[in-house]
This record gives sequence, structure tokens and C-alpha cells, in this order.
Amino acid sequence: MEVYLTCRSLTFAQSASRTLSAARIRNMIVRTPQNMSREGCGYAVRIAAGALETALGALDAAMLTPKRIFRRLPAGGFEEVKR
Amino acid sequence: MIYLDNAATTLQKPRSVEAAMVRAMRTCASPGRGGHAPAMAAAEVLYKCRERAARLFNVDNMERVAVTFNATHGLNIAIRSLVGPGSRVVISGYEHNSVVRPLHALGAEVTAAGSPVFDRDAAIAAFERAVDGKTDAVICTHVSNVFGFILPVYEIGRLCRERGVPFIVDASQSAGALEVDAGALGADFIAMPGHKGLYGPQGTGLLIASGRASPVLFGGSGSESRSPDMPMFLPDRLEAGTHNIPGAAGLAEGLDFVLRRGVGSIAAHERLLTRRLAKSLAAIPGVRVFTSDDAQAQAGVLSFDLDSMTPEEAGERLDGMGFAVRAGLHCSPLAHATVGTIRRGTVRASFSAFSTAEEADAFAAAVEKLSRGR
Repeated sequence: MEVYLTCRSLTFAQSASRTLSAARIRNMIVRTPQNMSREGCGYAVRIAAGALETALGALDAAMLTPKRIFRRLPAGGFEEVKR
Repeated sequence: MIYLDNAATTLQKPRSVEAAMVRAMRTCASPGRGGHAPAMAAAEVLYKCRERAARLFNVDNMERVAVTFNATHGLNIAIRSLVGPGSRVVISGYEHNSVVRPLHALGAEVTAAGSPVFDRDAAIAAFERAVDGKTDAVICTHVSNVFGFILPVYEIGRLCRERGVPFIVDASQSAGALEVDAGALGADFIAMPGHKGLYGPQGTGLLIASGRASPVLFGGSGSESRSPDMPMFLPDRLEAGTHNIPGAAGLAEGLDFVLRRGVGSIAAHERLLTRRLAKSLAAIPGVRVFTSDDAQAQAGVLSFDLDSMTPEEAGERLDGMGFAVRAGLHCSPLAHATVGTIRRGTVRASFSAFSTAEEADAFAAAVEKLSRGR
């Protein structure tokens, strides 16, 4: 399963992506699906669900806390993950 | 042709600049407008530009680096963020029209803290006298585009912090040619072109912005698109519309060139050439040279005037002899008024990292020939 870390800007997503890559966490910058966003278009970094804790640790250390976190549900759709 | 108009635009660029621009034309789409490979390639270009600029200028957060179309664009953003009709603004006596005209258009109450050219202590004293608790903003160029005078912007920045006044630095002549340390300056905004000392193409610039930034352009940013307002966060807040991606690609390579060569090395090179040329020109009868014995007071820009002809005539004659220089008021009538050259203007020669001592000597020989009427 996958997790989406939504970002306030593309630049932020790029910084987050580099931080995760440096921490050896596979990731991809993607467009944020509209049902995850109250504000409209944006970018998110997608990672494997199993990497979430490590990823958040790396991002917090780099002061790159994502806006919101969503997990893809097995049945389809997304669920917000509260920290 | 020997090109000595680098204060306007550097003509010789690192080869990587052109190559990156061509590559971007062929591979990049619009950043922030899609998730496909060409869009992300464009985003990568912008990121590289911001990352290198943040490294070169010691910016704590690369999101503060906004990509603009030139220094004037950045200065307009900075000025309109801090200044409104009736605002009290203190500027140096060496500001370019890119500062003077936006302030005039806004109806600001402007005080020019004038001081003698190359006198850094006098410049500090002038700002100390002019800046008070009622000042809404201070704007100072780092280097006069006419005389190469290096203004004491770090000291002026300190004064602004002590007195709680926002500070804007015009780094048009210093970015890439002198140390510009955003952390030490503590300025709210630092505006610069990409096409001068950063060796990028025309149509590029950077603005190191703060949270106070207000946009001058409104439109699509690829973010928070449901809102009719521009996003509050940087850099998106200041970057409406499609970017000049080939330009940014070239600028990123120009930044890389400066980082590799080292600003200290470029500054020393240009300073050496300036002093060499100043010495040669000063030895020519009928030539007045604007220079300083203080090596810390002048960057790679040198103004002079000939008794025997107007600056414009000299510029035209020199062009015919194969030298590109600029004559007139250089879009900085205030600087000429401060120094007392407003009636005639000056001829300006300016160096880059690619200029050579041989070029400086050949130019001095040409001016000597002109002054003798040959």
C-alpha cells in the first residue's frame, strides 16, 4: 500500500523528495489527487506505507513536515492518517 | 571586439549556459503544471537554480529564492511589498531608476542619503542621520552601476535591524561579483539580475524574499488553484504564470560557474583589472577617472570622462575602434547628481570574469588615442 505526503508547494515536494532519497526511502513526486486537497492543485510525495515512520522522522529532522498524510485503502479511496 | 559593458549584461558566458538552454528547450515543459516527465524536468531546472542560489547567497531556505524576469522585476516586488503612497523611504544617493521610478510611481516620500563617492564611512553616517523610527523602508544598492562604489550594505543592514526598519538590497552589480551573504545582510529582500555577474541569459533574475512579499503578477501558480488569491507561501506567491525555463536552465549553469570559480576569485580579478585600467586612464592628459585608492571601495565598474568630447561621442568613437562601453547617465541620474556628473554623464567600462589584462591595456591605449584626437 502507498502513502501520500501532501506538500504546500512543488519546491517543498522536491526538497522532501531529496531528503527521502538521502534516507534511502524510495519516493515519487506526484500530483495530489483532488480528493486529498481542500485548496486545489498541488504536489505530494508518494512512498510505501511501510516507510512512513522512517520518512516522517527524516522529514521532521529536515524541518519539512508535510501538510497532510493519506493512506491508499485496499478497497480503493484514501484515508487521512493523523499523526 | 572587446566587450567592456558587463555592468549592463555579461556577453561572454560559460559554454554550459547555452547548452543547458538548448537542452531545456528540447526537454522541458511547464513546471508545476503537470506530473509528467517534461513538466518534472522543468521543475528540476528551477529547483537547481534555487538550490545553487541558496548556496551562493547563504539563504537559509531555498523557498525564499523566487525566480524573476530581471532585477527590476524583483525590486518592484520588494518595493510594492513594503511601500505605499506616502511611505517614508530612505535610499542611497546611488540608486538606479529601477528603485527610483517604482518609488515615484507609488507616491512614496523619498529621502536620498547622499554621500561622497567611495566614502563608505560617510555613507553609513548619511543613513544614520536619515533613518529613524518613522522610516518605512531603506533601499540601498550594493554597488553603484555607474561608479562601482561598494556601499556598506552590511553596516546599513545592521542599522536597519537596530531601528526596526525593513531593508531592501539591490545586488544588481554585486551578485556573482562580490560576496552577497543573505544571512549576514538580514535584508527583507535582495534583488538581482541573472544576466550580469551570474552569467545567465537576459530575461532572468532572482529575488531572495521574506514572508512580507506581495506579488505584482497574479495568475496560475500550479498550487492552491481553488483559491482566487495567490498562495501565501513562497516561492509560488511571487511566480504567477509560466516560467522562463530555458532562461532558468542557463542561469543555473551560470550559478554553477560562479560557485566553481569562487566569488572571491572573480572579485579579485575584476578589482585588479579596474585598478590597472584606472591607473592607465589617469595618466592620460584630459581624462578624468572616478576611482578610489581604497581597494574595498570599488568593484569592477569604472567611469571616466574626456575633456575633448562628450561621453556619447567617446562611446561612439570607441565602438568604431572595436570597444563596447556605455556612455550617458546609465539609468542612474541620481548617482550622477550625487557625484556632480549629471550634466555630462560619463563613459563606463566594466569587467567580468572573462575580461583580461590585455583587453584593459588595449582599451587604455584606445582612449589615449582618442584623447590625442587621432
